[in-house]
Amino acid sequence: MEIHPFARAREYPDSVFHDVIPNESELTGGVTIEPGKQYGFFTDTTVCIGCKSCEVACKEWNNLPADDIGLTGQSYDNTGALSANTWRHVNFIEKKQALADDTAERPARGVRDNDQNAFQSGWLMMSDVCKHCHHAPCMESCPTGALFKTEFDTVVVQQDICNGCGYCVSACPFGVVALNPLDGKAHKCTLCYDRLKGGLEPACAKACPTESIQFGELSDLWERAATRVEDLHARGVTSAYTYGTPDAPGATGDMKYLNSFFLLTDRPEAYNLPAAPTRPSNRVAPAFAAGLSTIAGLALAAAVLFAGAKTTRD
Amino acid sequence: MSKAAAGPMAEMEGVVTVVQEGRFQLTDLGGVSHNFMLSRFALAETEQLPALQNAQSRVRVKYSQADKLIAYLAHRIDLLDVA
Repeated sequence: MEIHPFARAREYPDSVFHDVIPNESELTGGVTIEPGKQYGFFTDTTVCIGCKSCEVACKEWNNLPADDIGLTGQSYDNTGALSANTWRHVNFIEKKQALADDTAERPARGVRDNDQNAFQSGWLMMSDVCKHCHHAPCMESCPTGALFKTEFDTVVVQQDICNGCGYCVSACPFGVVALNPLDGKAHKCTLCYDRLKGGLEPACAKACPTESIQFGELSDLWERAATRVEDLHARGVTSAYTYGTPDAPGATGDMKYLNSFFLLTDRPEAYNLPAAPTRPSNRVAPAFAAGLSTIAGLALAAAVLFAGAKTTRD
Repeated sequence: MSKAAAGPMAEMEGVVTVVQEGRFQLTDLGGVSHNFMLSRFALAETEQLPALQNAQSRVRVKYSQADKLIAYLAHRIDLLDVA
């Protein structure tokens, strides 16, 4: 249930607090965090300004070290990609300006229909994160049970159980999970599991200054996203759509839905997201059947050949 | 602070102030905080770290510089306040 943040803010007029505020998420995110309910992120990329507050908040709270030190050469992007030490990553996607020779067959890739100068060309920004899939392939592939669904319907790696086999890394259709060679464990966003248990909203959502990252109950977030898409369509941004909500792109291949979903205005590939992610576990039975069929076929062929050779000798 | 000279097995003494998974922050005797990550070959386990933080125990960490990270790699943690 959504609660207006101002409803409880009046209870705390002081600017200095000596204790943790009980159910602080009601003030900062307008949501009460209770075990047994489904929580997630709604990332509205149309209001992301690329400030990277989410990256900083994530690193700060989770005590994650800075990695990939040095210049990437990728414009304003200094973290490069999601990794074992970077659980939030802001994509900076510079779009090509519209050109005079753009045709219906080869349309412009710019965000506006006018001729923009190069330095004013359109930018897409998206804060990427673990999708906390409903049917999480990483969890399905984990042989030790280190990956599990929490009481908040999020997916977390238990570090003391992870043996660093890396199956989850190849199973993730979004390329989110990563192994850290230094400690030999798999790492990814925990959706701030420890904060949720303490009644705090995740650090990235709390730090986001434009509400691009919204935390809440999934049903509430889906409603918010649908309203936002309608609003954008009414304003003329007809390219807006959700990625990861039920029956939308991103929720393909038996994924059902993603607890961290996005509002996008371009193809998923433009944001480095797969157009149609699938569950690798769905391919196990066909692959096994294909293997067995091959063995049976080869055995049959060998039997026919040996039988033919014996007949010739006789 | 007993930060030894740079080398493959330098030592630092301090108090564990923040723990997240296998990562921890050590505040040295001079009040400066440093990020550490448990090495895969460390003589300590991830689940042992929260107890060190809760007890605010003084520890000595043997470490090396982590490659391409702004953090140290902890190889051994010794308790200094053992009663």
